[in-house]
Amino acid sequence: MTAIAIGRLLRANTTGCIMGCRLSQATTPAFGEMVQIPLDDGTMIYGLVHEIFIDDDGLVRQLVSSEVSAEVIEDNRKNRNVPVEISVVFIGWENASGQVFHTRIPTPPLALDEIFRCNEQEIQHFTAGNRLGYLRALLRNEEIPAVDLVTAHMKQVLSVTNVDHATAWRDHFLNEIIALLKDDYPQLLDVLSTISTVIE
Amino acid sequence: MTPDESRFNLHISDPENSAIGYVIGGGLKANLFVRLTVPAYEVQEGGFVVLESGNWQFYGLVTDLQLGALDPRYAEMQNAGRLSDPVNRSLIRQTLYTNLEVLPALMLERGPEPGSAAYKEWRKSLSEEPHPIPIKTVPAHHAAARLASAGDVAEIFGNPQEKGKFEIGRTREQDHPVCIDLNKFVQRSSGIFGATGTGKSFLTRILLAGLIHHNSASVLILDMHNEYGFDDTASDTGKSVVGLRSKFPGRVRVVGLGRETKIRNHTPDFHLEIHESDIQPEDIELLSRELNLRETTPTTLDALVHHFGPQNWFREFRQMVVGSVIETDDGKKTPAPDSVAYWARQAGVNETAAEGLRSKLTRVFNRKYILPDEEKAPLNSLHEIIELLKNGKDVVLSFGDFESDLDYLLVSNLLTRKIREAWEEMTNNFRGKGEKEPRPLVIAVEEAHKILNREMASQTTFSTIAREMRKYYVTLLIIDQRPSQISDEVMSQLGTRVSGWLGDENDIAAVLSGLAGRDALRGMLARLQPKEEVLLLGWGVPMPILVRSRRYDEIFWHQLLGKDERLSDNQAMKDLGY
Repeated sequence: MTAIAIGRLLRANTTGCIMGCRLSQATTPAFGEMVQIPLDDGTMIYGLVHEIFIDDDGLVRQLVSSEVSAEVIEDNRKNRNVPVEISVVFIGWENASGQVFHTRIPTPPLALDEIFRCNEQEIQHFTAGNRLGYLRALLRNEEIPAVDLVTAHMKQVLSVTNVDHATAWRDHFLNEIIALLKDDYPQLLDVLSTISTVIE
Repeated sequence: MTPDESRFNLHISDPENSAIGYVIGGGLKANLFVRLTVPAYEVQEGGFVVLESGNWQFYGLVTDLQLGALDPRYAEMQNAGRLSDPVNRSLIRQTLYTNLEVLPALMLERGPEPGSAAYKEWRKSLSEEPHPIPIKTVPAHHAAARLASAGDVAEIFGNPQEKGKFEIGRTREQDHPVCIDLNKFVQRSSGIFGATGTGKSFLTRILLAGLIHHNSASVLILDMHNEYGFDDTASDTGKSVVGLRSKFPGRVRVVGLGRETKIRNHTPDFHLEIHESDIQPEDIELLSRELNLRETTPTTLDALVHHFGPQNWFREFRQMVVGSVIETDDGKKTPAPDSVAYWARQAGVNETAAEGLRSKLTRVFNRKYILPDEEKAPLNSLHEIIELLKNGKDVVLSFGDFESDLDYLLVSNLLTRKIREAWEEMTNNFRGKGEKEPRPLVIAVEEAHKILNREMASQTTFSTIAREMRKYYVTLLIIDQRPSQISDEVMSQLGTRVSGWLGDENDIAAVLSGLAGRDALRGMLARLQPKEEVLLLGWGVPMPILVRSRRYDEIFWHQLLGKDERLSDNQAMKDLGY
């Protein structure tokens, strides 16, 4: 794998994980971005970034209230002792044969496993199936900001999907959301209103 | 694909064979419900749909379309301003829908997939060709629904190219020809209904033309308004309307009621005149309402027949005078021998009742077409009409200027009574003595409620024909705008019913009486397009169906008769016996 890892796993279960990484605008994944964690047995775990924590430490607190030079500020921003924590919710996995499953992962990754951004092909590969089964888990997960996460995910997938297929995928995605939330009118309208802000 | 395979699977290669929805519920009693997957405007009430379920195909009629929503809020709230267009479209598509209500009518076993081993086994196991049968079960959930293809319509209603199959119209959505089986049509009495101005007369002309052309039955048309024989002008469009006589000169005879009667300025082939001896008491009793006759009338008539005999009573009564008296030697006034009272005393009937009847019958006695026996015309026109009908000709009896209800009731009943006697005799001779089988006869009766209403139906020959004469090869084709006025018993006997638009609830109920699924069909009758659409119902058609009726125009005649729109002169001469 030639991709550069964006961080390493701090803790995990079968629904998600928290990874730690160095702070960098360039390498820090955005909210809703798809990431992947390769396991030793060839399994690939996929997830979406749903939270990014930048915790303070004692030194940062001192610097905030002190008169220091710009060089010191910049050094402490890039070389922090406390890593940026990024929360990821798992949306599925792929076995060693390349078969994609939009279900809960069989086993969680291990601590310090490397985490990578997904490229265009990997995003298309994972989202290409007829059933977007991971939407069910996302929309029913009360621990995450599901509405915004689904919207951000949709936006990312559409940005990497061929124009010829984008409309079909978009409609398929919308249909799946409507089918899942049809019995919850307020929630469905909430999701669709948010999606409407990124789809014209 | 073998011919057999293609017969049962016309839809497979049929481009029209795209699904319009899928079955979501229902039953035999409550109709079937189909979730529509195409825009609602692509399907209309009355549409002929096919439901494919396993090895069976089900045929039904769309009787209702209902808008629905997964949650009422999806229908009540318009989200166009709140959601972007693609999102709103998806939301509408997923949450708002239209359900079809389908009246299931027939089912047909079509077997496994053609070409498969199972299909060959199934074909081998058949003892006879599968044919549509009345529905006895329901299709499975999610069975695909589609609009009937030309092959489906032909499977159920027959192919217009087949002998005896007459195209009466076309399906509304896809313009496939819908036929009626004329051989079956004439086996039972039938009716054409529709409010005034809905194209009843044109539809009747079309059907009569089909019957005459098919030539499996003779037709007698009681043409009260002189519409069917000679060319006419349409009252609404002012266009010329071709008469049956013009197109079938060798087959159709126009008979005018009364001497020197002209029909639409044409001279009829001959005139119908009635002899006094032809009129019987039942012909008079039929006029009870028209003449306001009393309950004593049957007694008086009975006495007249008893006294003078069935041949002479009418003439004798006609010659009697009301109130004629003579003075006796002692100066007392007494009824004259030519008076009604004189006869009444002799016969022992009430004088007042007899005089009242004589006075009321004056209207009948004054009919110019009732000839005194001594003025007998050279041609016995009643007999001539019956002979023509027996010999395969068709007769239009036009009433000319005698358009009153009295004329219509009297003459039509008298004529049909004679016909009934003749056909009963022929049938008995055929069955008992092995003589020639009688030719089927269809009597077309306009303004049928005048003759077949509840009060009179039991007295007229027409109701007997409707009830019993099928066995004697005579059936009625009743044409009316007020079917609710026709006796229930007669309506229940009608095999084929063809109905245009009806507005009155009672009329609609009457047309649908005795039919399965009438509740579902009720609204359809009230929403038919006047002059365009008709509903075919009853025993004579495999299932109810809404059709756009054919136009009675040159195209119709061209299609019916071919290039030579009149039957050829040779054929006409041959028909005339030369």
